[in-house]
Order: sequence, then C-alpha cells, then structure tokens
Amino acid sequence: MSERGPVKAGAGPDVPSAGADLELMEHADGEANGAADGDPAGADVAARIGRDPDARVKVAAIQQIGELVRGHLELSADAVHDAKFAAMWRRIDDQLEAPATGLWSRVARWFDRYRGHVITGAVSAGAVAALALILRPGTPDAGFAGRPGAAIDVRPVALRATPEIDSLDTPGGSSTVINLDDEDGHTTVIWVTPADTVEGI
Amino acid sequence: MRGPCYDRPRVNKAGQRASIPTHGRDPVDDRDLVLGAQRGDRDAFKTLFERYHRRAYTLALGVVRHQDDAMDVVQDAFIKAHKYLDKFEGSSSFYTWLYRIVMNLAIDHLRKHRRVKPVELDEMRIESDGDDPLLPRILGGNPGRALLDKQIRGRIDQALDELSENHRAVLVMRELEGLSYEDMAQAMSCSKGTIMSRLFHARRNMQKRLLDLIDHPSAELVAELTGGVEAEDTPANDEAPAKRVPAARSRS
Repeated sequence: MSERGPVKAGAGPDVPSAGADLELMEHADGEANGAADGDPAGADVAARIGRDPDARVKVAAIQQIGELVRGHLELSADAVHDAKFAAMWRRIDDQLEAPATGLWSRVARWFDRYRGHVITGAVSAGAVAALALILRPGTPDAGFAGRPGAAIDVRPVALRATPEIDSLDTPGGSSTVINLDDEDGHTTVIWVTPADTVEGI
Repeated sequence: MRGPCYDRPRVNKAGQRASIPTHGRDPVDDRDLVLGAQRGDRDAFKTLFERYHRRAYTLALGVVRHQDDAMDVVQDAFIKAHKYLDKFEGSSSFYTWLYRIVMNLAIDHLRKHRRVKPVELDEMRIESDGDDPLLPRILGGNPGRALLDKQIRGRIDQALDELSENHRAVLVMRELEGLSYEDMAQAMSCSKGTIMSRLFHARRNMQKRLLDLIDHPSAELVAELTGGVEAEDTPANDEAPAKRVPAARSRS
C-alpha cells in the first residue's frame, strides 16, 4: 500500500479516522496488498476488518455506494431512446472525413501526421541559418565600430540590452525559445508543443 | 466505400456495460474493426459506435451531468476518434482509448461551460472537513431495489451534482470503468495520493447525502414507503425510519 492520507494523532487502530478509512477504501478497491504479498500494513487492515464490525460495514458501504452510482448512471443512460443515438450516428457519419485516396490526400495526411516534426525541423534549420549569418566572419562589431562622432550610450548595460525570454514554463507541454538578432532587430521565436494526453492525439 | 459486411450482434443494453466484457463474445474483434475503419470502412466504424456509444454516454453523463451535453461529448468523441484513428496503434483496447477521449472532452466541456463555482473553492470546502471518517452505516436492503426509488435516485443525482468536477470524475471513472488508482492518476495527470483523496471525499459525501435522505425523509417518501398509511402521523424527522426502509422497499 502506498500514499495513505494522514492518520489522526493518537488514533489507534480502532479509532475511526479518515486516514484509517483510506486504508479500508484501498482494501475495498482491491488496491491494497495483503499479508500474502508480504505487506504488514495490508495484513493489519485485513485483521482490523476481521475484528471490527464497523470496519466491515464501512467496506460494505463503499461497495454499496459504487453499486448505487453505477446503477443510477446506467439506468439513466438506458432511458435514452435508441432513436437519439441513431440520429447521433447520422450526424457523426455526415462529419466523418473521407478516406484518403489520391496522391495529394496521402501527402496531406502524411504531413498532418508528422506536422510537428516537419515544423520543428524547419524552425531548427532557420535558427541554424540565422546563427550562421550572425556569426559569419567579417561582421563589424557594433560596440566598437560605430559611426565616428556618434554619441556614446551611457545607459546601464541592463537597460541597453533587449529583453530576452530565456525559457517558458508550459504545463502540459514543452516549449522552445529561440532568440535571434540580425540587422532588422531582435526576434524571439516561441515554439510550444502540447503533450499528448491520449495516444496519438 | 463499402467494406465487408460485419456480423453485428444485437448487443442488448446490459451487454454494453463496463462490467461485462465484449471481447470473446462478439464475432468480430475490436482490432479487426479498428483496422477496417483505418482503411476507410465506415461500416466497421459504425459497428464500433454501436458497441460503445451507450457506455461512452454513461461515462459522459456521469461527468457532465446533463443529457444534451453528454450527447454532444459522445458525438465529438466518436468524430475525434475517427479523425485520429490512424494514429491509434492498439497499445490499449479501443474502448480504453475511446474512454480517455470521452473523459478529456467531458472535462474540457465542464471547464468551458462552467455552471458551478470554480473547482478550487469547492475542493477547499471539502478538504476543510478532510478528517471526517466514513460512517459505519449502509442503506438497508438491496441497492438494486433502492434504485427503483425516485427520491433515492434524485438524491444520487443531487449528490453527484454537488461534487466538484475532479471528485466526480474520479468517482465515475472508478465506479463505471473500474480504473485502478494508478490509471486514474495518469488520466487526470495527478498523483495517486490525490486520486485516493478525491475518491475518498467523493464517496464520503455521497454517503452523507444518501444517509441524510434516509434519516430525514420527506413526507412524500414516507408516504411512498408506507403506502400512505402512516404518512400523516409519522414523525418523519424524529425517529429512525431507516430501519423501515428495507421492509417497505421489499414490496417491489
């Protein structure tokens, strides 16, 4: 067993608490290991259920709530007339995409399937090209080769520098931040890829 | 495009329930239907729809709590499943894949059409009495018979409505689909401990609501359970009519 909730301080095995009842719930759900699995805590719960009538009733209550919820929802679903689902299928059928048959359709599907990889590759290639342009030999250093007579920028370095995004926190996905400097100024490319939550989607 | 003619069994409603496996009984395996649908056979996909639409609807209804919304969720889920079917590689069963789509769409639907107060507030309220244990009581009698009682079903509906989205989603996944704590944690992107906590609070609150109905029955319920004989002179809120409920229900 694992990740049990807190047990009330001073609560003995026969004193009801949410923590102790969590163990009962694990047992009722078949999530707890028993003595046969070498888990002494699991054996303790089984022993508690054996000697404590209240514990047995609580396990029965958990199972009963499950039956009531499941039964109620299934009866509610059964009450929906078949005609409604038949109408739903017609709407679905109208919206289903036709299978790809032509060359263009197959190319489109291939691109749709690997779109993420293709775009990532394109962005990476663009970034490499931009870096190559920036770092190419003979590029004048703006810090030393300014126009003769130009005013000296006396602002602190922190104020002179363009604000940059180094990283981005994207829960449920990943992100890539690319900062590009060229003759047109500063460009930041942010690429966010949502994490797959369902296989293939 | 016409595909092979699949032998579609007339699966009755009970046969579409989560507790009764369809594999091994149906002439055409889900995997063959998925392969057919991936090749563009709409009949194959229709068979998958016929096999699982009501089960998917039950799941959606449990989460979104509104019939029309649940129908929309199921419809969108099948359209989405068809759209991405070529990416389904069969690492799980088709229904396991489908129910995750249904669950994601149902939760998205709740977030977009939030009719109740935000989850965080609701969860805080529930967590504030987090040390309450379960009550060592059950409803008397057979749950199947209890479900014939409109007021009990109404109270189940009410109790489900009062749960936060997260608590309800966990309860529905567990009770309808029998998902393990670990699977639910993956589906909801949270820890196993969080799942246990949500499930425990959901069950305890359901229990409180249902026992409250039995302890404090309405005059209508007392009249229904006693056949109207004792309705006038029964002190409904003072005694413990729970003991009479099973006997009264045994009439059906």
